[in-house]
Amino acid sequence: MSTILVWKEQVQTLYARYSTYIDKALKFILGLAVFGVINGNIGYMKIASSALVTIGLSAVCAFLPLTLMVVLASLLILAHLYSLSLAVMAVTAAIFIVMYIFYFRFTPKKAWLVLLTPVAFAFKVPYLIPVALGLVGTPVCVVPIACGTVVYYMLHYVHTSSAALKGGGTDGLITSLTTFAKQALVNKEMWIMAAAFTICLLVVYTIRRLSADHAWKIAIITGAILDIIVIAAGSMVLNVKISYGAVILGSILAVALGFVLEILFFSMNYTRTERVQFEDDEYYYYVKAVPKLALSAPKKQVTKINEHKDTAIIDTEDIKKVASKQAVPTPKRKQTASSNWQRQSADEILLTRSLNKELNERQSKK
Amino acid sequence: MISEERVRIMTKMSLYENRTGAQDLKIGNYYKKDYSSFHTLVTVLWVTVGYVIIAALAIVSNMDALMKNLTMNKMIFLVIVAVGGYLIILIAYVIGAGIFYKNKHNGAKRRLKQYYRNLSRLGKIYKKESR
Repeated sequence: MSTILVWKEQVQTLYARYSTYIDKALKFILGLAVFGVINGNIGYMKIASSALVTIGLSAVCAFLPLTLMVVLASLLILAHLYSLSLAVMAVTAAIFIVMYIFYFRFTPKKAWLVLLTPVAFAFKVPYLIPVALGLVGTPVCVVPIACGTVVYYMLHYVHTSSAALKGGGTDGLITSLTTFAKQALVNKEMWIMAAAFTICLLVVYTIRRLSADHAWKIAIITGAILDIIVIAAGSMVLNVKISYGAVILGSILAVALGFVLEILFFSMNYTRTERVQFEDDEYYYYVKAVPKLALSAPKKQVTKINEHKDTAIIDTEDIKKVASKQAVPTPKRKQTASSNWQRQSADEILLTRSLNKELNERQSKK
Repeated sequence: MISEERVRIMTKMSLYENRTGAQDLKIGNYYKKDYSSFHTLVTVLWVTVGYVIIAALAIVSNMDALMKNLTMNKMIFLVIVAVGGYLIILIAYVIGAGIFYKNKHNGAKRRLKQYYRNLSRLGKIYKKESR
């Protein structure tokens, strides 16, 4: 545990020193993932779906606010869908506008969370998102997660049924409009996932704010289990095929990520918990104080650099030969200690003798 | 000579100006009631547009089911449901937007007050230094 805490300190120090570059690099990676997923799945406009555009947009977004990345991603999606079908683009644009009107107009800074959910879905790990945001976010994060889920399933449907949606003429346009709108809004799997993520996030958030010991661990495990239960129940009730193996594996990964986040943001030493009770004129206070677990990373300070010195190579066989030829000198007995002792004992004998003599003389006189 | 206190205040002010300063100055030009009412009105318009889009999407996606056995009573019922839904969402958003924009105005005013306080402290330091 101490090693992990030292690592944490080192990571924090590193981030504090190079935060400007790390932030930009992370934005660039997020951009690559977002634009890569979009171009990889629905790249119907050939000019926009090239790797150069993906890298270029990611590089531009690395230097811009995340809100602009959301806008650019939305525009890229609409451009690709326009190449596929005007009806599909119209429905998608309408859904994006609804999302903006009802939520992102109020908190545009959280709009980037919408991008995370489809990316997590594309990498087959969407279950990480509600657990992670329940731990480090607020209940409001439910809205961007739900919006992200809707966006992913919409794009997934376009990806799987692009041939059916590519209808020519007025009839084809109306048919694709109706079909896509129906699928975008009445996709059972989408609503199951949105409901599971919402419940999971709210439960994780509620439990992790409790004053109970190991609240974060309890929240992570409960959230992951609840996620599995809701998805399983939903798939059974609504008769939707969902791979339980992927759900369980994803939830295990979510638990692992949750524990990593706990170490990073909420490492506590519960063995040294103190409970204090006091009062003032208006209230009684029951205070529980849990000390934080922290270890300062050891700093390596180079004070002096010694000059490089070559050491002679010694052949041990030669030394052994020389040693065997030479006679081993016998150690001289140390005389000093023993002679001192002898001298001391002689003095004592002489003293006792003289004292005895004196005593005998006195006794004879009496 | 560089005054540490002056540099500290100037850094704080510069950070504020870069983050939310410009927006706060705009908000600060309004009275709280005016700001809240104006933006609530804008929200009403946006919610109306959004609801119309949702209704249109719902109609388009359920076109077949709606057209089947469409009677006058059914149509009146659907209109009542749609208007009821609209009113519920509108009331919820009007209340929510009112609270949101009032809090936003309060926050902006509080930050501006601190900014002006720092500005006057900075002025005093300059005066002191020029003596």
